[in-house]
Amino acid sequence: MTVHNIRHADSRHGDASDGAVGGRLSRVDGPAKITGAAKYAFEQQLDGLAHAVMVEATIAAGTVRAIDTRAAETTPGVLLVLTPDTIMEIKGASDWLGNPPTQKTYSPLARTVTYSGQHIAAVVAETFEQAVAAAALIEVSYDETPAIVDLSDPKAGDGIPIDAMTKEWGDAEAAFAAAPVRICAAYNTQREYQAAMEPHGLIARWQGEELTIWEPSQWLDGMARTYAEWFGVPFENVRLVSPYIGGGFGSKALALAHSAVAAASAKMLGRPVKLVLTRPQNFTSYGGRAATRQTVTIGAGRDGKIQSIVHRGVNETAVDGMWVEPLASVTSIMYATPNFSSKQNVVRVNTVVPGAKRAPGENPSAFGIECAIDELAHEVGIDPLEIRLRNYAEQDPEAKKAWSTRQLREAFASGAERFGWSKRSPKPRSMRDGHQLIGWGVAAGTYPVRRAYGEAIVRILADGSVEVESSSIDMGQGTYTILAQTAAETVGVAADDVVVKLGDSRYARAGVAGGSRLAGVMTGAVYKAATSALDQLVGLAISDPRSPFHALQANTLVVANGRLRSPRGDGPDVSIAELLASVGRDRIEAAGDTMPANSTAEDRYKNYTTIATSIPHTEGNYSRHSWCAHFIEVRVDEDFGTVRVSRVVSALDSGRLYNPKLAESQWKGGIIMGIGQALLEEGIVDRRHGRIVNNNLADYLVPTNADIPDIEVISVGIPDLHSSVLGGKGVGELAIVGVAPAIANAVFHATGKRVRDLPITLEKLI
Amino acid sequence: MTSQTTIHLTINGRDHSLNVEPRVTLLDALRDRLDLTGTKKGCDHGQCGACTVHVDGERVLACLTLAAQVEGREITTIEGLAGADGTLDAVQAAFLEQDAFQCGYCTPGQIMSAVACIREGHANSDDEIREYMAGNLCRCGAYPNIVAAVRQAALEVVS
Repeated sequence: MTVHNIRHADSRHGDASDGAVGGRLSRVDGPAKITGAAKYAFEQQLDGLAHAVMVEATIAAGTVRAIDTRAAETTPGVLLVLTPDTIMEIKGASDWLGNPPTQKTYSPLARTVTYSGQHIAAVVAETFEQAVAAAALIEVSYDETPAIVDLSDPKAGDGIPIDAMTKEWGDAEAAFAAAPVRICAAYNTQREYQAAMEPHGLIARWQGEELTIWEPSQWLDGMARTYAEWFGVPFENVRLVSPYIGGGFGSKALALAHSAVAAASAKMLGRPVKLVLTRPQNFTSYGGRAATRQTVTIGAGRDGKIQSIVHRGVNETAVDGMWVEPLASVTSIMYATPNFSSKQNVVRVNTVVPGAKRAPGENPSAFGIECAIDELAHEVGIDPLEIRLRNYAEQDPEAKKAWSTRQLREAFASGAERFGWSKRSPKPRSMRDGHQLIGWGVAAGTYPVRRAYGEAIVRILADGSVEVESSSIDMGQGTYTILAQTAAETVGVAADDVVVKLGDSRYARAGVAGGSRLAGVMTGAVYKAATSALDQLVGLAISDPRSPFHALQANTLVVANGRLRSPRGDGPDVSIAELLASVGRDRIEAAGDTMPANSTAEDRYKNYTTIATSIPHTEGNYSRHSWCAHFIEVRVDEDFGTVRVSRVVSALDSGRLYNPKLAESQWKGGIIMGIGQALLEEGIVDRRHGRIVNNNLADYLVPTNADIPDIEVISVGIPDLHSSVLGGKGVGELAIVGVAPAIANAVFHATGKRVRDLPITLEKLI
Repeated sequence: MTSQTTIHLTINGRDHSLNVEPRVTLLDALRDRLDLTGTKKGCDHGQCGACTVHVDGERVLACLTLAAQVEGREITTIEGLAGADGTLDAVQAAFLEQDAFQCGYCTPGQIMSAVACIREGHANSDDEIREYMAGNLCRCGAYPNIVAAVRQAALEVVS
């Protein structure tokens, strides 16, 4: 474990101000990533490593009658074949809220099958090739029962009402009935997958009762807690290591069934075991975004002012697990409305439990309301941008609180200007270029500021360099870089004199990297720890009799560019290294956390291993959100119905950006994933067997380079100190929200056809 | 399929001999046997491009190539792209400057593809770069920055 500890000085680029908070510093982990030196979690090379492969169910519902493992067991190199009967006992673990387990034991290998692809056996062998070959020899017989394959299955029913999702004010039904203009439409989003380029997998190693797990993870402490509970060892005995993560998008925050199998087989064999899911298994071993259905009903005046919104939503969940995709999260706050009603059901189908994918809830929610308001604009003959301004919510309509900051008007204005929106011809099918129909669409997006407490350790070392430690992670958002910038600016050294160590649960604890909360939480914690380290440094310099500053009798000192001096400019000017040497110290160390005062050890454990202590975004007097507006041009081939996105201008309010270069990249990435959702991506179920047919990267179509035009992103944010210590709001989840409706609205403008069912594929247009 | 065979591979100018079964792919030989983990496994089916390496200067998917197939040929991986003194290849430097990656997992494959794309003469316009880089998937969505990096590196390589 050395690669992620290297000084990333090669990445120095641009001028010195790049290294401060808000500077465009290149990724400090970049040199390791572009040279192949960055060792991802399960790339560690360990002596005696055995290789495991999972075997999955080929039916969607029923029971496993028998598993014949004889041929597999006699295959050369095979060390262990695990079935529900032969795997060691594993204890039940609490959920991510910290609720205690409902079952005493946990069976990662299923006897009762509730979805196709569920793990039922595993093979461990000396080599990967031997394990793969042996796994193919396992014979399974089933007693199959009828499956509910998806939301449209006649057996699916209306589902279970989720009362906690109900939101109501005014009298929405009556106001709708009385409204002069009424629109009502149903909007569907498909089952989608995170499809991170790095598959899920891990290496597990036991040394006595100590377990080390090398696993890509968005949440080291949460996953460590699960392993500890599964195997009945103290939390401190589990070490999770995850120096780099090859993409997560919500999928890598939990320890999963295959994780338990790998750790169990390592324990049973007394050898380290590596288990990496195949690409097809990555479509069924954890959940993507649930398919959703929404009905959006808007009652409005002839002037386009909304009088009522009635919203009904449904998302799919699993037969044996619950996932609620909050479908009213944007519906209830985007526009001012005096009357509102939203209710949501979930429907159980035979699938793996759906999970978090970039902006869970906000993303499908925005597809409904942002298409519906476009339909209203068309109905009343008002420009789609103008109608959004007419219904602008001056405060949070649901919480009835002031926005902390909401630069959405500014986003509309600057996006429209850069895009040239004023030149839009309002009538559908009125803009074309030869055989291509051109459409311009707009939609807004939002994501709440999820907040939590964090901690970090900052050290000033003998050579004057600074070290930051946290068990938070970098999966491409730029954590290494922005924490280096935060520590550099706070202590007063250059960014390339800071080493950031992440991705090891032995470091200072951290909560989940999800919900776009990590940057705000961790810059706050590092700022606090670095401030405390700086105070110690200055205190030593002033008070230690051996310090060259001792005689100066100064109240404080300035630290800049790694040197200390008096603010008056008199007296000595020495480097941090020289000062530490003069007072005989080899380091200064400060821990900083943003937990409430008097927090107990139990509070801290709960804060870092569950999501129960998250701070509501409407806490106190303000409602805190990021905002964005997307302006998108599509070209639709009139004969073939093919849709291409040809231009994107997005203006986004993520508050203060800690590093604009990296934030812009994340925004573009979110927009591109949104283009995939709008036009390409869809998990297709074989209705006979309830199986995902396109469970690979050739058939599940994620955008390629050739699908993506130039994308212009504009930051319109201002520092929001109600949202975070340094003024930032969320970045990573925001930009995908609103992309699909902007494209659907553009397709309507191009063709006159309203496609309310994603993805917008050619057969829906011809 | 269990008998091992000794094969000799020339990787990044160094000779390696290893005992493997004939069914071992070049990708697994690199990653599991030679500790050259810069070459990534994304799909193991030739669909994502993360395992792109050069064989005799041409881009090849290591997951669809048996190790034994490339005996006696010049293999270059991401670890062998920079100069012996650590000087970055123009494409590597451009990827860093243009922020042409986020998680970094597809990046070695993107870079190996980009070097070949330029060498093939397929980097003459942004549209051509997009087309000839379309076999390397990036889920973080760094595509516009990848195009910018390839464009920049192509100009540097030519000049």
